[in-house]
Amino acid sequence: MDTKTLASLLPILLGIAWLLPLASFTLIVLFGPRMGKHGVGASYLATLAIVSGFACSVVALGLWMWVHPLSSAHAAAPEESIDAARQHEAVVDHGADGHASGHHELKTPIYYTGDLYTLGQFGKLKVTISFYIDALTVGMFAMVTLIASCIHFYAIGYMHDELHDVTDHEVVLSDGHHLHRPGRFHRFFQYLSLFCFSMLGLVYAGNIAMVFVFWELVGICSYFLIGFYIERKSASNAANKAFIVNRVGDFGMIIGLMALWGGIGTFAFGDMEEPDGTTSRGIFSQVRDAENGYKLTIPDGMVRATVPEVVEEVAVDHRNNPDPLAAESEIASRLSTYREQHYGYWLLVIAGVGIFCGCVGKSAQFPLHVWLPDAMEGPTPVSALVHSATMVAAGVYLTGRFYPVFTPEARLVIAYCGAITLFLAATIAITATDIKRVLAYSTVSQLGYMMLALGVGGWVAGLFHLITHAFFKSLLFLCSGSVIHACHTNEMPKMGGLLKKMPWTGYTMLVGCLAIIGAGLPPVFGFWPFGFGLSGFYSKDSIIAQAYSFWTENPTHGMILFAAAAGGASITAFYMFRLWFMTFIGPPRDHHIYDHAHESPRIMYLPLVILAFFAVVIGWTWPGVWGVTDLLEQARWPAEASAGVLLPNLHYPDEHESHVPAVHLVAGLTAFSTALGGFLLATVFYGVRWLNAAEARQQFAPIYTFLVNKWYFDELYDFLWVRPAHVVAGVVSWFDKQVIDGFINNLARWTRGLADIDDLIDRYFVDGLVNLTAAWTWSFGNSLRGLQTGKLRQYVMLIVIGTVALTIIINFASAG
Amino acid sequence: MNPLLEPVGVSHFMAVGALMFVCGVVCMATKRNALGVLMGIELVLNGANINFVALSSSFLSASGKSGLGLDGQFIALFVIVLAAAEAAVALAITLNFYNNHATVDVDRADELKG
Amino acid sequence: MESINWHSFFFFLFALVSCGFAVMVVLSSNIVRMAFYLTISLGATAGLFFLAGADFIGAMQLMIYVGGTLVLLVFGVMLTAQGPFVSMKTRGGDWILAAVLSGSLLALLVPAAFTVREWRGPSPVDAVARMEPTSTPLGMGLLGIRVDKLEDRPEKLKEGMSSYLLPFEIVSVHLLVVLVGAAYLARTKRRRDVRMESL
Repeated sequence: MDTKTLASLLPILLGIAWLLPLASFTLIVLFGPRMGKHGVGASYLATLAIVSGFACSVVALGLWMWVHPLSSAHAAAPEESIDAARQHEAVVDHGADGHASGHHELKTPIYYTGDLYTLGQFGKLKVTISFYIDALTVGMFAMVTLIASCIHFYAIGYMHDELHDVTDHEVVLSDGHHLHRPGRFHRFFQYLSLFCFSMLGLVYAGNIAMVFVFWELVGICSYFLIGFYIERKSASNAANKAFIVNRVGDFGMIIGLMALWGGIGTFAFGDMEEPDGTTSRGIFSQVRDAENGYKLTIPDGMVRATVPEVVEEVAVDHRNNPDPLAAESEIASRLSTYREQHYGYWLLVIAGVGIFCGCVGKSAQFPLHVWLPDAMEGPTPVSALVHSATMVAAGVYLTGRFYPVFTPEARLVIAYCGAITLFLAATIAITATDIKRVLAYSTVSQLGYMMLALGVGGWVAGLFHLITHAFFKSLLFLCSGSVIHACHTNEMPKMGGLLKKMPWTGYTMLVGCLAIIGAGLPPVFGFWPFGFGLSGFYSKDSIIAQAYSFWTENPTHGMILFAAAAGGASITAFYMFRLWFMTFIGPPRDHHIYDHAHESPRIMYLPLVILAFFAVVIGWTWPGVWGVTDLLEQARWPAEASAGVLLPNLHYPDEHESHVPAVHLVAGLTAFSTALGGFLLATVFYGVRWLNAAEARQQFAPIYTFLVNKWYFDELYDFLWVRPAHVVAGVVSWFDKQVIDGFINNLARWTRGLADIDDLIDRYFVDGLVNLTAAWTWSFGNSLRGLQTGKLRQYVMLIVIGTVALTIIINFASAG
Repeated sequence: MNPLLEPVGVSHFMAVGALMFVCGVVCMATKRNALGVLMGIELVLNGANINFVALSSSFLSASGKSGLGLDGQFIALFVIVLAAAEAAVALAITLNFYNNHATVDVDRADELKG
Repeated sequence: MESINWHSFFFFLFALVSCGFAVMVVLSSNIVRMAFYLTISLGATAGLFFLAGADFIGAMQLMIYVGGTLVLLVFGVMLTAQGPFVSMKTRGGDWILAAVLSGSLLALLVPAAFTVREWRGPSPVDAVARMEPTSTPLGMGLLGIRVDKLEDRPEKLKEGMSSYLLPFEIVSVHLLVVLVGAAYLARTKRRRDVRMESL
């Protein structure tokens, strides 16, 4: 088979992987409670669906790498020049629908796109279900399905309580008893399936409208799952918070979508063959025009949208021109002038920042990071899924997907957002004592890393970290779930010394911790050109390298961003090992809990082992055969090298430059030393306990309080938004009650009064009139009754009298 | 003036008819026996009939032309016939009344009084 | 010396008989006698009809009234005159009232009869000359032909429009219905009576 035929299998394979969870969801919705005892069959069905999806994804990944062999230029030979790396890239086959480029060095990445089904066409607007498959899509599919499969297996064990009636000890009813409710085992798996379907659809989507739909589906699934224990006040609050905070971001996203569609007139990502043989250009190729050297180009539509008066003027001028194309060509000739004057640039900035707003909400970036820690109210498998492969990954994924559209200004916003988030979350994580909360803040912090990487131009680095992080963060969450399962508490101060009781959990979690801090041997020790370590080591190194590379080009911004990245790495190491030491090492702090702790069942710790394996190896590269970075490299748009309009001095270094040894060595050493510093500090405080953590806490009391209160963000938002909203609501309610209700009540009172008067008129006047007539008639008839004597002879006499009288009257009348 | 020497005219007939009519009316007004009342009716009808016949006679009037011509005699004929019919029905009603009340006193037949 | 006008003579004779017996009908309180007086009165009236030139009507008066209706009345008297008649006496007040009323009516009617000069009477000479039988014109009239008005009618009315064929038919049907109805009404209903008495 030729490559084209093989490649055409990709949409089918991934489509199957995408739709299987939907089928599972539908079946569970319809037949869930009847699937086996207490709906236990639902878990098997959902797991089967996602595992099959994983199989499809793996086949698709293999197919992809068969059709498009990886080039491992920079990884294998870092000493090669950047040009060489680019040439290797140029060798890569461009995709079936790829737009052929005259340039030799820069190439449009390989992608396959097409419409599956057209939902509707409204003038220019075409809403379709379409796919856009490139290396990133394939990689994400494999990652999401693999992690989701592990989590499904784990959840079968974790959620077994829901198989029978549950007494929820955290809910106290008004009568003082605890809530007793039937189990919801099947419903949990039903939501999990929908969640996987939504996330896969988001990755599969080939246009921004479809992305938005699945974006919201992911949001609603997280709402369901965070609020799974809906009877708990905290859970329902957290679910609401997650949903509402996401709405704030989505508002920005809708603005971005409007700007994009208004300016470009299409939702599709890639160029698409129309049925009539023409090619309709997608968003990416319009913004990054190959003929323009992939420089940021303001699309014609956006320029046009900003100068409507010119378009109108030209149209008026050519009113009488017989050639219908004359006006168009006139406008086109004028547009280039306006483009040079940067008309429409703002629209592009707004589109980029707007879409990033949505990502801020989904990926819990500052300032919308507040929902993610509260989302810990959901069951732990959900947390693992939300924090690694689905919900929060969606934001980073979309930022990466829309990377070509972002202007330098938008990228700087992204970078700063990420930097602030990563530092903020890391500091809060230091003081948190809830094991899941530490991990939650760690997630926020790591997401900040990814955003930072994307913001400073490290596209591959950011998405690479997304994938590696997904593995070790899901591992860490499942481990924490295992611990909670054993201890029935989330509080780390009540744990300690659990390593003996739960070796599987303990050691796999250690692997996760090492991965997240980026443990490894920096290149200076030199077995391997890039050093050697766990997966996190590679991804974090490349982020820091890119930040450093950015610093070399932009002194001011670069320094701040690099410092945030390096500092964050140190803090990450500290809080992760604080967590591990507090949980697994040292004397048991609460003997009751310690005595009852036990290792989790095999179905729960086997996924841990699988995930731990991947957390170690996923970052490894086998030149020419396997490497996540090389895979991602195939999907990268050549989107560098364009100066911003507002920030003309901002220079984005090419990502390949970060692989230059000079840069990489510095970055690697920095990362290694900061992480080591954090690790040692944690060991000193919590591992060997040479220093007393409590004393340090007292010494830095103000900072500690500040951090424990999470930088007072909740309070700030409460003050800024919630209170004013309450005040406004109170005023509105008062207005409603007093003015509107009063008005309506008065109106009603008046109406009633009027009706009463009307009633009186009716009763006494109208009825009186009728009754009077009736009474008259009756009395008249009554008076006539006397005449009706029934005496025949009397009648005869009356007739005679009448006759006589009539005759006399007529006589007199005629005589008179 | 001797009435026997003068020819009689319509007026004389009408005077006789008037007297018979009044007799009939008095009969109806005074008899308590239903059959008496019936006889009164017959008298009234006859009084009227005399008028019709007299007015249809061509040689009773001064001008030699009758007022009604043969029409008066037709009406008289119909009156006679209808009187016969009326007598039959009235008799039937009377018999019915007698069957139910064992009397023919019209003063007792006052069930429809107001 | 003028001779007695026999036409007038007989008129007065019959008039006297009919009016006298009519008054006796009023004054009598015996129902059987009343019937007898009425017969004589109506018979005398028939004589008056003859005198007015209506020979057929007079004959009918005798046949239908005297021979039919009065027999019917006598049958009625015989069927109902089983109880005492004492209770049927009319009160004096009624008599007075009736007399006053009838007197006033008579006072109105008789003068009215003599108000029209035309009706006073013809010249004695013409009286008998124009007497002619009326049964043929009446019969033709009932069959639809007005022989008496052949000359002085508009053309349209000659064709039977003013004749009495239709009333004749209606009257005959009416008579039939009346007789059937009378027979039905007069039918004795013993069963009902028995039941009522038993109650």
